Amino acid sequence: MLKEGTTAPDFELGDQFQRKISLSKYRDAQHVLLVFYPLDFTPT
Amino acid sequence: MGGVSFPLLSDFHPKGKVAESFGLYLADAGITDRATVLIDAGGTIRHISSVGPGGKRDMNELLAMAKKLDAEYEGETKDVAKPEGLPAGSVLFVKSNCIFSRWAQAARANLHLDDLALKNVSEDADAKAELENLGGSHQAPALLVDGEVHYESGAIVQALGERCGIA
Repeated sequence: MLKEGTTAPDFELGDQFQRKISLSKYRDAQHVLLVFYPLDFTPT
Repeated sequence: MGGVSFPLLSDFHPKGKVAESFGLYLADAGITDRATVLIDAGGTIRHISSVGPGGKRDMNELLAMAKKLDAEYEGETKDVAKPEGLPAGSVLFVKSNCIFSRWAQAARANLHLDDLALKNVSEDADAKAELENLGGSHQAPALLVDGEVHYESGAIVQALGERCGIA
């Protein structure tokens, strides 16, 4: 996993309203909490 | 979580690409790790951790970290989540004890549409008459935007999403 203090890699993903959300959109604007959420809705 | 909303992002195609870029994709299992990453407005990772795929996050610890970052951060911040919103005069009509009305209200909250007027046709006879007059039916939920009335929660959620645009 990446180290604390490094720059987060940018990304752009679709949300539940088909909007494109990118990390760079929040640059110099808001802090971001990324919560990775595996397993629900999967057969694992 | 009262008053908190967030975009729900799909890291699906190509699968796990973003998780991989953070070093959080578990290739053997084909899933992402149950990880949490706090990134400040300058783009720097302030916290990154995982509780493992079946683990449980410590919400109090995360809340404390977020508050600490808010208090300590010295760079510029501004609200970007709030969209330009809907044209003046737009109204979301809902009724009480209605799951479809609740969905429409959840979309209003999740899209930060605090300025979108909300009228309850179960409690407000004038609103009910207004809706019937405008759209031909007092069926709620209904969305009035640009003089047009959208019925059905699916159509309403889609119309709200489209109005809030591509970021």
